[in-house]
Amino acid sequence: MAHGDFYFTINATFYHFTRNWGEQALVDYWQALGREYLQPLARRFEAGGLAEIARYWAEYYAAEPGGTVLVSRIDPGTVLVDVHVCPAIRWLRQSPDAAVHPPVHPMYCQHCLYINRAMLANTRYRFDLEGGDGRCLQTFTGPTAPEARP
Amino acid sequence: MIGVNDFIPAYDWTFEYLRRNRGEAAVEAFWAESIAFDSQQHANVLIQAKGLQGMAEYWGHTLDSEAADYCTQLAPDYFRIDMYACPSKGALIRIGQQEYHDYCQHCMGWIRPIMDRAGFLIDHEHNHASQCWWEMYRHGGRHPVVVPPLRMDRDVRLRPGWRQAVHHLWLASALIESMPGHLP
Repeated sequence: MAHGDFYFTINATFYHFTRNWGEQALVDYWQALGREYLQPLARRFEAGGLAEIARYWAEYYAAEPGGTVLVSRIDPGTVLVDVHVCPAIRWLRQSPDAAVHPPVHPMYCQHCLYINRAMLANTRYRFDLEGGDGRCLQTFTGPTAPEARP
Repeated sequence: MIGVNDFIPAYDWTFEYLRRNRGEAAVEAFWAESIAFDSQQHANVLIQAKGLQGMAEYWGHTLDSEAADYCTQLAPDYFRIDMYACPSKGALIRIGQQEYHDYCQHCMGWIRPIMDRAGFLIDHEHNHASQCWWEMYRHGGRHPVVVPPLRMDRDVRLRPGWRQAVHHLWLASALIESMPGHLP
């Protein structure tokens, strides 16, 4: 199940937070998503290491409609997610119904940064983001070996 | 990123986040304001402009895209949806997630404001087990307000599994009652 129009819902949700409660409320929501909702994924990354992080994001972006994203291990300690065409930004700007919707939320690209950093806060991995507006580089860095099991 | 492929569980979680931090009224306002007239603005535009025909165009396209198991009927005086397997609720049931206490409520939460604005009323019932039916019709178009008759063999109320769980029933856009599944 994947319908690109859900990107409109995501964008509308971001507007709802900032319009009603301000920018910090939106950041709080993103950080709660990472800290709470996505903790099972954080544990999965911790258990599987960078190999699992690379595999997850390659499959994730492959399932999103209309993006062009390359995921690679540029060195043993780094996974690079090279977003040539962000599927969300593309949909929000170019899909058939884009014209009747508000523009991309000005903070839209920051959700990747805040969510991933909050998700990884208690792991051995770090997330960084360069760029935005539909084209960015996302890096996950950390130890090469998965977490040792006791 | 928040993607569309695994969006539904995050959507359900967001309803509960809003309820927990801002209260139940904030969840309803989210649906009535930002989902109805921002997220679903393309539906609103179609329905305001074309009425019943616009509903047929919107739901035909959207439910096909979501790979739903459903049937629609465009009659002269109403538009009907029979949902045999809602992809959203079905996904939550499959993964065993129920963050918000009533995920099904969100559809009425955004559709009713659009119908109110366009001058339509809604009869609707869902069973919280990924099945529901909807009939939209012009304001004042039905007297008395009663549960619509069965709509031949495609009516979801004849499907296996319909009579389970707790049902919520709306007639003329008003919540009537919560009750076990029933036939008219």
